[in-house]
Amino acid sequence: MRDGSKPLLSLKNVKKTFTTGGTELKALGDVTFDVCPKEFVSIVGPSGCGKTTLLKIIAGLLPKSSGEIIVDKKDFDITREVGFVFQKPLLLHWRKVIDNVLLPIEILKKDRKAMEERAQYLLALVGLEGFEDRYPGELSGGMQQRVSIARALVHDPKLLLMDEPFGALDAITRERLNIELLRIWQETGKTILFVTHGINEAVFLSDRVIVLSARPSRMIESLDIKLPRPRQQEVRVQPEFGAYALEIYKSLEIG
Amino acid sequence: MKNLPTLKLSSLWARLKTPLVVFVLLVIWELCVRAFKIKEYILPSPIVALQHLFLPQPDANYSWIVHIRITLNELVISFLVTSVLGILIAIGLAWNSTIKKIIMPAFVFLNSLPIVAIAPLLVLWFGYGLKTNILIAFLVSFFPVVINTTVGLFEIEDDLLDLVKYLHGTKLQIFLKLRLPNSLPYIFTGLKISSTMCVVGVIVGEFVASDKGLGYIIINSQYTMDSPPIFAGLMLVSLFGVALFGIVSALERLCMPWQFRGRNEN
Repeated sequence: MRDGSKPLLSLKNVKKTFTTGGTELKALGDVTFDVCPKEFVSIVGPSGCGKTTLLKIIAGLLPKSSGEIIVDKKDFDITREVGFVFQKPLLLHWRKVIDNVLLPIEILKKDRKAMEERAQYLLALVGLEGFEDRYPGELSGGMQQRVSIARALVHDPKLLLMDEPFGALDAITRERLNIELLRIWQETGKTILFVTHGINEAVFLSDRVIVLSARPSRMIESLDIKLPRPRQQEVRVQPEFGAYALEIYKSLEIG
Repeated sequence: MKNLPTLKLSSLWARLKTPLVVFVLLVIWELCVRAFKIKEYILPSPIVALQHLFLPQPDANYSWIVHIRITLNELVISFLVTSVLGILIAIGLAWNSTIKKIIMPAFVFLNSLPIVAIAPLLVLWFGYGLKTNILIAFLVSFFPVVINTTVGLFEIEDDLLDLVKYLHGTKLQIFLKLRLPNSLPYIFTGLKISSTMCVVGVIVGEFVASDKGLGYIIINSQYTMDSPPIFAGLMLVSLFGVALFGIVSALERLCMPWQFRGRNEN
């Protein structure tokens, strides 16, 4: 999928060092990779390797210590055209579901009225038709995370950053949402950068899996996943699926 | 469907139990006064006290209704002033941490002064009447609103702030869309505490800065050892306090439907 197209986002030697009370902590050693339009890229790595830090740097929530993040400003405004799905749903409990989805529209000062239909469409897309007027407190954890996915898509971002979005959910809900995420990705044509520590999840979802080492993290592997699409659960039992997973396990030295 | 009647009964009980308890306490009070033949100037029976509401009150210049109206008027204005000013002050404190560091100690100092004791001084400075009365009520009751609102405005998950920051939202947007709604439960807790303290403030104000109102009746009747009007006045004052608290609670439900929606359905 990435052959021939120029990257939407390029990271070149991105490094991040945290300084707290005189001690330096090297979170990101040196990270370099491209993400192409409409590509589904996952980042896996041991916990504490700076996966979340990397996403936050791309989203502009944290400053990088050195290196470059290159985008073509003409076709990708990285300050407005990014959607972020956090580990926790982070819904505003005082807002109804529909108003939570529309939050980015309000922050970007776009026309809210014109976007209400789109918000409805996105709620249907994530399987929450008819829940517009509920409050987050009335929804299950899985449903809340669906709302947060709809919210991250509402301003029609080119790039969707997802930080272990299904990490806190039970296995059954997680696998169901994996399939739905692929459907949403196919239907919306977004570029997705997906952070996870689930190796099977990464293989199942991605066009490419980037493996980071432990802190200070470097890219130790970039693996193209050439499993056929659209993918259903059957993919998980194909020998190629296991081979890809094993390769990732090996590069993390847990295989 | 079967347990519908019991449900209704239990909700009726939920509504009536507080007035019922009050009524039973009044009956016990009445019976004690009669049984032990307690002298009226020490403890009048509730019936005697309530009867006094329909007699010309000792001052005789004004009828009860005039005093009630004045106290109610003061209470409403004082509470509105306290609420609005209190919330605005808290917003100012939350907006800038330097302002908070400078002003907060002054508020703590002000709040630890016994306002009852400096009330005469305030009369000296600002004279008799409504304005001084409102000032006293404000000084007695502003602290809980300010403290609670300030805490509420700060008490927000950092992760929630990221939600606005990654879209490059402004400080004003963070305030209006996150901090303010997030602080509503704190604001209402503060308002509830302040509402009862405001009643105290108004009565204290009338003790020193007024020649009308229920506080004035209470202090004036004390000079003549005429207890029944004192008790009648106290009953009315506490009734106003309960009513004000109830209004704030009702407003809370109205402003925060998400807090109460879940419970109704369970």
